[in-house]
Amino acid sequence: MAESSLPGSTPFINTSSKNDKSHNIQKISEDEEFEVTSPTDMTFRQANSGDNRGNALFGGSAFSEGGSQTAGGSLFGRGSPFGVGGAESGPGHPDDDEPGALPPGPAGQGLPNNYALGRRTSVSAESLNPTSAGTEGWTPPHHPKTEDQLARLKTAVSSNFLFSHLDDDQFKTVLDALVEKPIPAKDIKVISQGDAGDYFYIVEKGSFDIYIHSSGSVQPGPDGLGNKVSSTGPGGSFGELALMYNAPRAATVISTEAKSTLWALDRITFRRILMDSAFQRRRMYEAFLEEVPLLLSLKPYERSKIADALDTIKYPAEATIITEGDPGDAFYLLESGEAEAFKNGASVKTYSRGDYFGELALLDDKPRAASIVTKTDVKVARLGRDGFKRLLGPVEDIMRRADYQKAPNS
Amino acid sequence: MATRTVEHTVPSEVQLGPVDPKDNNMRSHDFHEREKKLVQAFRHPPRALNPFLITERHDEKQLCISSRNLHITDFALLKTLGTGTFARVWLARLKDQPDRTKVYALKILRKADVIKLKQVEHVRNERKSLAAIVDHPFITTLIASFSDEQSLYMLLDFCPGGEIFTYLRRQRRFDEETSRIYAAEITMTIEFLHDVHGIAYRDLKPENILLDADGHIKLVDFGFAKQVDNRETYTLCGTPEYLAPEVIHNSGHGLAVDWWALGILIYEFLVGQPPFWDQNPMRIYEQIVEGHLRFPPNMPPAAQNIVTLLCKTNPSERLGHISGGSTRVKSHPFFTGIAWDDLFYRRVKGPIIPRVSHPADAGNFEDYPDSDTRNQNIYTDDLKKKYEPLFKDF
Repeated sequence: MAESSLPGSTPFINTSSKNDKSHNIQKISEDEEFEVTSPTDMTFRQANSGDNRGNALFGGSAFSEGGSQTAGGSLFGRGSPFGVGGAESGPGHPDDDEPGALPPGPAGQGLPNNYALGRRTSVSAESLNPTSAGTEGWTPPHHPKTEDQLARLKTAVSSNFLFSHLDDDQFKTVLDALVEKPIPAKDIKVISQGDAGDYFYIVEKGSFDIYIHSSGSVQPGPDGLGNKVSSTGPGGSFGELALMYNAPRAATVISTEAKSTLWALDRITFRRILMDSAFQRRRMYEAFLEEVPLLLSLKPYERSKIADALDTIKYPAEATIITEGDPGDAFYLLESGEAEAFKNGASVKTYSRGDYFGELALLDDKPRAASIVTKTDVKVARLGRDGFKRLLGPVEDIMRRADYQKAPNS
Repeated sequence: MATRTVEHTVPSEVQLGPVDPKDNNMRSHDFHEREKKLVQAFRHPPRALNPFLITERHDEKQLCISSRNLHITDFALLKTLGTGTFARVWLARLKDQPDRTKVYALKILRKADVIKLKQVEHVRNERKSLAAIVDHPFITTLIASFSDEQSLYMLLDFCPGGEIFTYLRRQRRFDEETSRIYAAEITMTIEFLHDVHGIAYRDLKPENILLDADGHIKLVDFGFAKQVDNRETYTLCGTPEYLAPEVIHNSGHGLAVDWWALGILIYEFLVGQPPFWDQNPMRIYEQIVEGHLRFPPNMPPAAQNIVTLLCKTNPSERLGHISGGSTRVKSHPFFTGIAWDDLFYRRVKGPIIPRVSHPADAGNFEDYPDSDTRNQNIYTDDLKKKYEPLFKDF
């Protein structure tokens, strides 16, 4: 189910290194250019209303990656017949062509079947299942690293959206799972264009050249690697699409010096770490929610929905989570740490893992009856009244439902 | 239900109940003939029943037999209707069927490819999902499934209008009315899959929506459909431009992904391209998780609004998934003027009427190159030992 990749682009390569942000800056400016030629732009509408054959319908580089070679820059460029050739011969839609008459494209480069013709291929990763895949007992690999190494790795992936979204624990687990991969010699192909992609790499030491062959895969012969499009060094990374699913590599990456070092992370480990932490968090929240009398009448799927809607918030010790007298707007579950309730300055209760407070705020915005102050570092899961109402309707209705169901027994 | 009208799709003389291959009183030849008759007896389009009645008809279901006797050699393969990474769909006819306009869509999956691409679970889900659904007006019907040494087969009804994708690309974009009507039919289909079967479809896109001769939609390719009910699932699947943020983040996804995809689909109908696009798939995913939508200024406000509400990156805020469910989707101002029942019961024609000269006309489908048989994966004895039990449902 692999996605074909386009020759002439540098799809999954982040060549920025830790000391060199110029590439990123260039990307940003290209993004702004995207704004200008975006669908909301005048040129977009004009292009759409007129005859745009032979014209780069959606703007040459507008939809392509900044700094990369735009293979047509066409809207349907990736793996489609519209995407071959330069921006000039570029595409546009086959407005009067019968679909059967579409020009054959670089269909299915590196794929077992010739398949593309403007239609988009589905993608799929390995089946991941927390209950049956033996997750219990599975622990992510742990490869120790020095503080310096960790700091460098953090910087290297900080701009990558797959990593920036992780919470601290997930991020740490992922960094720990990176495995060192020594590249002992020059001219070693780390990845080959067209091959199956399993690993994402971060450069620790050394430098690597990146080649792209227009056919979509490495060819035999002296020029089989295609053109050198870029190179990357310490702090750079490549192969990130492999963290999503098994797509053919979009480029070849070759070592240019002896004794280089990479950090590698495979897809299954990465996605499993994400799955496990999400799965455990959901089940934990569901278990906590079961203990809340106000929510007793929720059906299990409603509880799951609520668990899914909780926001995790961290507080340092001695922080005030809610203040006595303030209007209540949210309900909290204490996920870790300890907190204390104060009324008129006097401690009235302590809370620990699994406890909850502020649940009456789900009913209305009456003033908080107490202040809650953290005793330690604390992680809470928060649910606003608005969020609850949006998901399940007013909490009163749910309570009323409980009364109604209980009525025959009482 | 006592009130329902019973008008069987299958003539009574072939209503013999499920075939039991262990029944030694009947020779396998008879089973074979009977199963062919069952297949021949299938007529479409099926009647449109109220979806909540449809589920009560399981006892009547004659379609979707898991056949031990049908064989690929029973069929003449006429033309490829579509290809996937490990599947090919053929226009097919029973060889001893005198009526040459009586045709089917036969989906062929090579076992070795299914295994190599790690799609065993998905293929099983596909058969299971389709088998659970009894003639819904907007969903392809699984008539029978069978298998042989190398391949799995799913015999489906043929939908002659071709892909809505083809019409969309040809017209560049749909007008408001066309978009609204097809979005409405998709909405009813998602509603049915979710509310009646707990099935997440997970691959909504114009390529998977066919048109029938009357211009109504037919959802095909249930390769990623899965009964998830209200639990979450984790395997990444879909089509890059249509993946929901929670699928990319692997934080667990469920039925809500179909509502996200509906938003993308409405956008693509009206604008002619999906809202998040880049040559480089990783940049598509980056845009998706950011979820920043940009609309052409001439896009109707109600359409912009429904796309915004469906494409909420947080599923807990997403229209369709929040309180009110699909009812709230259907009552959105974008759908003002939709006669839901008229569409469902096909009392009106669809906005695009395909040119279909006869029931077996496949002219609305693109031409596909022949399959490359040189590097085919072989279903070895080792694979067979390990995987054959998983294919036993076919």
